[in-house]
Amino acid sequence: MQLTLDKFTKSFGDTEVIADMDLTVRDGEMLALLGPSGCGKSTTLFAIAGIHRVSGGRILFGDRDVSDLPSQKRNVGVVFQNYALYPHMSVAENIAFPLEVAGQDRATIKREVQAIAELVHIEKLLNRKPAELSGGQQQRVALARAIVRKPAVLLLDEPLANLDAKLRLEMRSEIRRIQQETGITAILVTHDQVEAMSMCDRVAIMNEGEILQIDSPTEMYRAPVSRFVAGFLGNPPITFVEGVTDGRGDVDLSGLKLPLPARLEALPAGRAVTLGIRPEHFGVARGLPVPGVVRFVEPQGRETLFDVALDNGAVLRSIQPVRQDLSVGDAVRFNLDTEAMLVFAETGARL
Amino acid sequence: MNMRALTDGAREGTAIAVPSTPVPPAVTLPPRRRGKPRGKPRVSLLGLAMLAPSLLLLCAFFFAPAIFTGVFAFTNMSTSTGIGKGDWMVTPVLLRQLRDAGLSEADEQAISAATYVVDAEHVARAEAGGVDARFLSDIESRLAGETYDNARDFERDLRDLPSKPRSARALKGAADHFASSVLNRRYATEAAFAAALSTVAPGLAPETLSLVTERAYTGAVFTVENFVTLATRRDTLRIVGNTFLYVGLTLGFNVAIGLFLALSTFYLPKRVGSVFSALWLLPRITPVVLYATLWQWFTWENGFIYILADTLGLPTYNYMKAGVTSAWTIMILSNGFVGASFGMILFSGALRAIPVQQLWASEVDGASRLQQIRRIILPQLRWPVLFVTAYQTLSLLSSYELIWLTTDGGPGTTTTVWALDAFKTALWAYSGEFKYGLGAAMALILVVVGLTLSIAYLILFKFDDLVSRPKIEF
Amino acid sequence: MQHSSMTRNFSMIPVLAVLGLVTLPLVVMYAFLVIDSFSNAPATSLIPSEFTLEHWRFLYDFSLVGNVWIATKNSLILAFTMVVTTLVLSSTGGYAMSRLNLPFRRFFLASVLVMHAFPAVTLLIGTFLVLNFTGLYNSMIGVILVKGTLMLPFGIWIMKGFYDAVPWEIEMAGVQDGASRFTVWRRLVLPQVKPGLVALGVFAFLDGWGEYLLPRILAPGADFEVLSVFLQDAAIPDAADYNFNIFKSVGIFYTLPVLILFVVFQNRLMNIFGGGTKG
Repeated sequence: MQLTLDKFTKSFGDTEVIADMDLTVRDGEMLALLGPSGCGKSTTLFAIAGIHRVSGGRILFGDRDVSDLPSQKRNVGVVFQNYALYPHMSVAENIAFPLEVAGQDRATIKREVQAIAELVHIEKLLNRKPAELSGGQQQRVALARAIVRKPAVLLLDEPLANLDAKLRLEMRSEIRRIQQETGITAILVTHDQVEAMSMCDRVAIMNEGEILQIDSPTEMYRAPVSRFVAGFLGNPPITFVEGVTDGRGDVDLSGLKLPLPARLEALPAGRAVTLGIRPEHFGVARGLPVPGVVRFVEPQGRETLFDVALDNGAVLRSIQPVRQDLSVGDAVRFNLDTEAMLVFAETGARL
Repeated sequence: MNMRALTDGAREGTAIAVPSTPVPPAVTLPPRRRGKPRGKPRVSLLGLAMLAPSLLLLCAFFFAPAIFTGVFAFTNMSTSTGIGKGDWMVTPVLLRQLRDAGLSEADEQAISAATYVVDAEHVARAEAGGVDARFLSDIESRLAGETYDNARDFERDLRDLPSKPRSARALKGAADHFASSVLNRRYATEAAFAAALSTVAPGLAPETLSLVTERAYTGAVFTVENFVTLATRRDTLRIVGNTFLYVGLTLGFNVAIGLFLALSTFYLPKRVGSVFSALWLLPRITPVVLYATLWQWFTWENGFIYILADTLGLPTYNYMKAGVTSAWTIMILSNGFVGASFGMILFSGALRAIPVQQLWASEVDGASRLQQIRRIILPQLRWPVLFVTAYQTLSLLSSYELIWLTTDGGPGTTTTVWALDAFKTALWAYSGEFKYGLGAAMALILVVVGLTLSIAYLILFKFDDLVSRPKIEF
Repeated sequence: MQHSSMTRNFSMIPVLAVLGLVTLPLVVMYAFLVIDSFSNAPATSLIPSEFTLEHWRFLYDFSLVGNVWIATKNSLILAFTMVVTTLVLSSTGGYAMSRLNLPFRRFFLASVLVMHAFPAVTLLIGTFLVLNFTGLYNSMIGVILVKGTLMLPFGIWIMKGFYDAVPWEIEMAGVQDGASRFTVWRRLVLPQVKPGLVALGVFAFLDGWGEYLLPRILAPGADFEVLSVFLQDAAIPDAADYNFNIFKSVGIFYTLPVLILFVVFQNRLMNIFGGGTKG
């Protein structure tokens, strides 16, 4: 089912947290709401779930306006960060609960619980209590309980935050598999860019109550609309350096000149711009050689990360396949792929 | 670049980027409904229903008593006025009082005089009173409509009747049935009383009539007398002094012993510590009647201390009832032994919350146990101590049950505190005369103090931190 | 606990001595409570000379101090109705206060807290008058209603504290699953606050069982005599045939349920004895 936020506004008391937000999640799509904590992503999720009331605008499931409906009448499945399993009920009772309150008969409940348990691979745990389960198993139960009612929309609120690194990797693909197998429209709320990019069809990046950009993960990484988006995506993160255009196709970085990408050569002189340089574009096979001194070496196993101080004092980061020939203090000349540089105006918008 | 500028830029950025992002298939949105302002959390009917029984009870048995205390503090209600509406009645005692207040002798005699009327009403009364039927019919046929203003004339006429009874006493008894007097008769309404009064004593001046009517009312009336009494009587100062001394000393005992118990059980091995804390909880759970009697056994004649002192050759007497110092000691200790566990529990909780690493660190630094307590532990117990002090001040100010059951405020009134005095004035006077009004006035002062203090505590202990909004708004 | 391991350098003996001394009166009182009820001692001695069960005759010989079983029945009625009313009203009221949207919610919370701190005994005179006007004076119902009401601010506040500790997510998950708020409360939240209900129930029982003042003042009739009043009336030391030992036996009989509950629920009660002041 398609989900639409139409000029959605939310205030708490006199504080407006979200103003006039528009968002469409397509049928069967999994969309990530990505942003730093306090950006309003959880508020949005709670409004869709029917826990918060809408202050302005509408929320539509398909073309049904659910803005004024309480949770019970919305048919939304939610997986909470701490799973919120009912501690006094067994796994089977937990999953059966939504069906029970919906008044379904016993045989149906039993059949449905069994089917969903098999889907999320917990059929052997049905008689256990939540306290006897591992984090990943609890996560699966929470997921099963959320989708057993065949909800119109599945909401996942930081579902992986409480898992250790290895389980997180496993559950990432599990959640995606289950979402795809059931075909439920889903929204994932997360502050983890890797999670958002690896699990979702599209990512909506939020800050201070606004959606800055909605795009597929690759597109958003390749063409961020603003300095904020560029800085938020990518690990190790992008490096920013400030400069002024000279009108002849170069940027003056006080003591160092770098050429603008070809499509921006025509920029007039005297504009303050910010260059965004991703580590994988510095230290490449072909490009403009830039001299500098290695300040820091961080081996990461498969790759090695270098911090290189340029002549003008700016520090650029470079990530390269493992090499052990360099150490701190060495003078280097790494190639910079100037065409891949991102250029931002003073306002933060990408040019 | 500051954050504001960053987001402004970002907003602009979105505008630029929109054409490049794939546009979702256009859907025609249904038209918006315009309605009342939204977004306010919805009032929960379930919540109101869940709260209603409690509210009802609290209104009936918490607020109403509080209001009644306030209202009846301004009345002279007592056992003699009765609770509820009074009657109008003139008694010989009242007449004497009225005479003292300047009522003329003639008026007094007029009011107290009895008249004898032979009419249907009185005949019926006499019939019900068992007067011989023949005699009665004689009276009715011969004397109907007569009025006499003294007994002698009436009895003379009666004696003339053929069927008069033999004995003079029976005749006098029959005559009494025809008497009409306001003396010692209860009238339910003011109008009935005034009517009766003016029949009996038609010559009364209007102001005399209203004075008598007012004074004849037996129910409670509004007055500020209680507060005048409280302000002027000699006992007040002593009882206020007793109250402050009692609260101060008991509080000191509670906090000091509570702290000592918490600290010592904290440092002792766990099992030893828990034995002591269980022992100190005993007085708190023991029903107050039994606990009071244990103290009686401990301190009375032939009780524990008595026998002990006797064996040692020390003075022996009923320590609880016969000595002022010993009575005070017993009052403080018996209350203190109950109260100390409150401090102990709260302080122990606060102690356990101190990260144990802090204590280890101080020991590594070479601090002695006393230094550790003074420098590290006590500063962190400041709020619990303040809380216990605040909370117990209020409960000690108003507590009297245990004092009532032990020293009972004695010897004399030496251990009487305000709350006990209020209680005994209103509900437990040995004279049998319960002065509800005066007691309520004394209680009202406690209520005002209690309310002020508890609101002050609410602010002091940051009520706002305890209130969080419900997260589900539907 | 870790902290006992660091006490090695310090001698605990002086502390233990002081602690023992301060606690001594308690130990003496309670020890002799038990000893005296099972023994006789010569008139001027503390040391018992013989073991006897004669002080327990009051259980069947009603000529001694009256019929203890009627008083026991009354006390049980009072205590159990206290448990039921306190649990029902506090568990609903506390939930409404903790979790539901109410008009004047702040005001309600503040009033409950003020009432909780407010010394309710000062209202006894007012209560006496209210009962007189409503015709509930000298009835068990009156005592129960008054006692139950005075318990309410405390009970509601305690239960609110327990409800506050239940994760909101459980409730959110419940409404997402389609359950009404009432169902959520009954089937999902109530089971989480069971420890609170148990503690509050035990506390209410102890409170009702130990209550003396209210039955004495508000229902002085013989029909409603509860154990505390019974015990107090049995303990008039001025009487010529007064016997502390029989009285102590009655006292033990009266206190036994209290002690048992205390031993079983000690840890849970600690929280409540702290006055529910965790907030």
